[in-house]
Amino acid sequence: MNRLRRTYPVRHGDFIHAGEASIHVKNTLKSLSYCPDLVRRVAICGYEAEMNLVMHGGDGVLTVVIAADEIRLEVADTGPGIENTELAMQEGYSTARDEYREMGFGAGMGLPNMKRNSDEITVDSSPGQGTAVTMVFSVGGRCP
Amino acid sequence: MNSVHHGTGCYVSFDTSLCDGCTRCVKGCPTKALRVRHGKVVHMQSACIGCGNCLRICHTGAVRAATTDLSHLKKSRISVALVTPILYAQFPGVLPRDILKGLKRLGFHHTVDMSYFFEMFQCATEEFVRENREVGKAPWPLISPVCPVVMRLIQTRFPSLIPHIHPIMRPVAIMAKQVTRILSKHYGVNEGFISMYYINPCPTKKGDDPKTPDQSFTNGGPYAMGICDIYTQLAKEVEHVRSLDDIPMTFSSYEFEQCTSGDGLLWGMVGGEIVASHIEKSLSVSGIDETVSMLEKIEMGLFRDIEYIELRACTEGCIGGALTAIDKYLAKSACQRMINLLGTGKRLNRDRINRLYEKEWFFSRRTEQGGLVSEGFAGHSFTIEEMRKIDGLVQLINGRDCAACGAPDCRTFAEDVIRGDASADDCLVLRARGLTVAQVTEYMNR
Repeated sequence: MNRLRRTYPVRHGDFIHAGEASIHVKNTLKSLSYCPDLVRRVAICGYEAEMNLVMHGGDGVLTVVIAADEIRLEVADTGPGIENTELAMQEGYSTARDEYREMGFGAGMGLPNMKRNSDEITVDSSPGQGTAVTMVFSVGGRCP
Repeated sequence: MNSVHHGTGCYVSFDTSLCDGCTRCVKGCPTKALRVRHGKVVHMQSACIGCGNCLRICHTGAVRAATTDLSHLKKSRISVALVTPILYAQFPGVLPRDILKGLKRLGFHHTVDMSYFFEMFQCATEEFVRENREVGKAPWPLISPVCPVVMRLIQTRFPSLIPHIHPIMRPVAIMAKQVTRILSKHYGVNEGFISMYYINPCPTKKGDDPKTPDQSFTNGGPYAMGICDIYTQLAKEVEHVRSLDDIPMTFSSYEFEQCTSGDGLLWGMVGGEIVASHIEKSLSVSGIDETVSMLEKIEMGLFRDIEYIELRACTEGCIGGALTAIDKYLAKSACQRMINLLGTGKRLNRDRINRLYEKEWFFSRRTEQGGLVSEGFAGHSFTIEEMRKIDGLVQLINGRDCAACGAPDCRTFAEDVIRGDASADDCLVLRARGLTVAQVTEYMNR
């Protein structure tokens, strides 16, 4: 099976290294010559997902599976879980702590941004059970 | 050109007879354009952005910047020195006009200070930013076009950011355009008679090969002279000028011959471009690693609420250029003292600049189709299958990026192996484990 799978650990509260996994994914996709728009969308989603883990999710893992026809981003964490996923998908809805808002995060755009930039998204979460987000990007779908 | 120097026609060239194969430059190259093969450096020109890191790092003197020397002045009918404030900063305590006089004694017919052209650039920039707020011509953040190394970094590593590049001509290009126009009119000669020499703090120009004109300039472009190349001779002349009482400038009928200002001097240091302009939502970043990291973030869609970003490949800005002569912090202090002395403030007639702006006089063709096109690294694209093999090889080596193979790190080495540019046999770690090329290949194909 012609797929490339990579996993990256993401640590809760680690703002210094937050985003590095997404940069790595972005650069891999660039050297695989995927179209710039697709690369940008995957990078944005990866970054938002990483920030969610760093701020809310607890320790977790970001996995990317790259294939010729689609790219999958899977983000799973062991954090507190999401109480109401429907609310969390709404723009502007935020449960971020004040200190994060002061840092410029927590505008309630994380999941909505991920939804807007991916072709398919599933959020599997319940309180106390952690969260698993899977995003699928179809190759060729939105590329010129 | 010296035939031992391979890489002529690029920003830097290498004398392999002086190279001892230490791999320091290989590890320090931000675009991974260098390798050591068979004990000597190999320069991949297509990936070189002319940042000058190798020049700073090399301890054997094997690296040379593509610059023109003073003997070239004899060949030109009308020679003009284009002077940046960074040159003044190399002479703490000396007045800019004495340095300009020194340049004349070296043989330049004219010396032109850059300050006015920085102001012109700034006026045009503020105008463009204001327009962009209203009509959204370009995506935020706009990226300053001033540092040529950053431009080439975007071209090779971040082509998706080309639309972010601020479309106004670089100050040195504005300067070259104006100076050519005024001087050719004054002398009544064709523009070709005027030779301009840009006194450079960094290796920004490819070798003086007419086939590679720098797109920043209007007519084939000025020759590039490194500050450090003329420094000793210039210092002697400056000393001489200062020992005399006041000698007048030999020729100064042009207002811009001698027009240094505090605002102009600010440009030598990181943040100067921002400080002197009226763009509120702006950032300035210096140093090649920081610049790369900033571009990565912009590419991920961050910083979209910032309007303008000043990026400088050299730490502390242009005073930290690889072709400067004195310590960058001494130069910074010289700049700061001079700014105190001269004061800041704009002097240009804004209405006149705005009229030129309306006529699109300032716009570069950089972001148009065929202007600054994405170059990409030669052979840097892989298939998924190849990428899996690369991952496998990196895992197998499990090394510490020792660079003994001649590549900067294990991943780049693995990429070279897959491309066929290196052999698995070059890796000390694999050899120490007794793995043969055949065994490694078998592992990768698994």
